[in-house]
Amino acid sequence: MRSLLKLLLPALIPSWNFFDVIAPSPRVEYARLRSIGDAQGEWREFRPRPQRLAPLEMLRRLVWNPRWNESLFLVSCAERLTEEPTAHSEDEIFKRVAADVRAEPEDAERPWLGFRLVFVSREADAVTREILFQPAPRRLAEIAVA
Amino acid sequence: MTLIDAARLTQTLLALALIQQSLEHLVRFRNERLLFGGRIVLCALVVSGIASPWPLVGLAGLSLLILHRFQGPYNGGSDRMGLLALWCLTLTSLLPTPASQELAFGYLGAQLILSYFISGAVKIVNPDWRSGRALADVFQFSAYPVADSLRGWAGRPRVLLALSWAVMLFELAFPLTLLWRPALIVGLVVAGTFHLANACLFGLNRFFWTWLAVYPAILWLQGRLVH
Repeated sequence: MRSLLKLLLPALIPSWNFFDVIAPSPRVEYARLRSIGDAQGEWREFRPRPQRLAPLEMLRRLVWNPRWNESLFLVSCAERLTEEPTAHSEDEIFKRVAADVRAEPEDAERPWLGFRLVFVSREADAVTREILFQPAPRRLAEIAVA
Repeated sequence: MTLIDAARLTQTLLALALIQQSLEHLVRFRNERLLFGGRIVLCALVVSGIASPWPLVGLAGLSLLILHRFQGPYNGGSDRMGLLALWCLTLTSLLPTPASQELAFGYLGAQLILSYFISGAVKIVNPDWRSGRALADVFQFSAYPVADSLRGWAGRPRVLLALSWAVMLFELAFPLTLLWRPALIVGLVVAGTFHLANACLFGLNRFFWTWLAVYPAILWLQGRLVH
């Protein structure tokens, strides 16, 4: 009950401090790995944004935007993992990445899935990237995606 | 606009916004379908006015299960405003006296004003916002721009400086629109356009529908305070 109140109270007494500070911004990267200790994985950004988006597509997303909203949820999970790590946030990222990866062609030589959180920020005039979280890989077949 | 009319309109708009959000959850994972399928049914009852106020009470209860499922709001600020609106509307429909109902619904309208004013206040005290640098950062490296081509806006400092000040001054001045009905209506049109731009450029479509849904609360509050 107390944990539910902790989740509900920020909505009932909101802070409304949108974009007060532009904090380092997380990107989820993933790789299919040969083993749990494989350090040679080819890391790719999860759901990279398109180069361009037509105005009509922008308007369509006003009423149908599930993938983008899911990506924003993953941003929340990534921020939670660096502020106050929980198994829930890690599980959610594994689950949603795994669901997409399973739609790719099967790769029997790389049965493990890893993800890492790269935080992008600006220092002086340069954009920098730093890996702040990388959990142990999991077997893709064992990640529940129901 | 009477309290009953304004609350009813807000209920309907919020239920439609929640239906839109819920439909997005039906296509992905089985364990989310039950929660959001149930929410669609309850929202449809709210829109149709059947068994009022119990569908609202059900939605408020379900909101706790959804909060628990995602260990917080699924989409940050927009879901928080949706929760606030839902709980204020539920209280408005359950509280026994007109004064307490007005208090619950007025709180929602007041929070809408604060959502603009505080957002402006926290920006204007930040030198990066005053120089336009913060908005450049949003375009340059934040997770929000929906296409890589939009990152090019980070290289237009004069435009971003003008936009930063326009946003901050509008947000800070928003409470003044309460003084005169036509000013409030113009303010809400500008604010709605701002949310539309955020939806198009940053994919924040939930903000657009949720904030629009709460506009009747501020229209009612203005009438209640001024007249």
